[in-house]
Amino acid sequence: MVPYEYYLVLSGLLMVLGFIGIIVRKNIIALLISTELMLNSVNIAFVAFDMKLHDVAGQVFVFFILTIAAAEAAIGLGLIMAIYRMKKDVDVTKIAELKG
Amino acid sequence: MDLGVVAFWILSAIAVVSAFGVVFFKNIIYAVLSLISALIAISGLFFNLGAELVGALQILIYAVAIVVFYVLVISTVPEYKGEAVDPKYALLSAPFGFMLFMELAFVSVYGLWKSGTGIFTPQVVQEISNAKAVATMLFTKYLFPFEVASLILLVAMIGAIVLGKKDIVED
Repeated sequence: MVPYEYYLVLSGLLMVLGFIGIIVRKNIIALLISTELMLNSVNIAFVAFDMKLHDVAGQVFVFFILTIAAAEAAIGLGLIMAIYRMKKDVDVTKIAELKG
Repeated sequence: MDLGVVAFWILSAIAVVSAFGVVFFKNIIYAVLSLISALIAISGLFFNLGAELVGALQILIYAVAIVVFYVLVISTVPEYKGEAVDPKYALLSAPFGFMLFMELAFVSVYGLWKSGTGIFTPQVVQEISNAKAVATMLFTKYLFPFEVASLILLVAMIGAIVLGKKDIVED
């Protein structure tokens, strides 16, 4: 049996990779995909803590995270479509009207 | 060597390599394919941990439903011509990523690991199966959040339809 700490290290690694993706990518769809990666890393941590602490509440929360991820993907991609129709671009550096 | 250990190392290696692909592939189609690979590897990790229900839901909802959203939008938006990675921020991301990892490690190592051990010991789960244990909690203690989640999905669906309408710009 693998120690549960290894799962936490994997979760942290995926979280950091998603975070780096959000910082460095310029395509707005790639930003959303990196967000999905971060949500998944949280899921791994939830399930690992669950198995360690003999509980199932974390798995219930993973279920809610899946629901919210579906809602987030639908709304986010709808917004991307609306932005694309208006600006004809998906580059985050070009969508900068609110830059102070 | 235990089979669970072998499965953990193979699946986590696939997940990390796919995550690198998600972050650094220039072509967005390759990034989405890497995302599917990472999601299936993470689902295998859930099975390896003994959470069958969550692993199955991960494949059904993430690797099928959500990825199809992405593929639909990518097929509508034309190919992105610019550079994938902003060189201005590529160097900056390393120290911030390292700081985030250190913070997560600190919380994991010094956190309150043994706070409130639950009642679902391996013997209980062995007897009633993981799916029944999760579903029992979901439909008793977490019934109200479950109903709210369905409401959120309904609102998100209506919002996505309204945002996706063709004449939203002219209004």
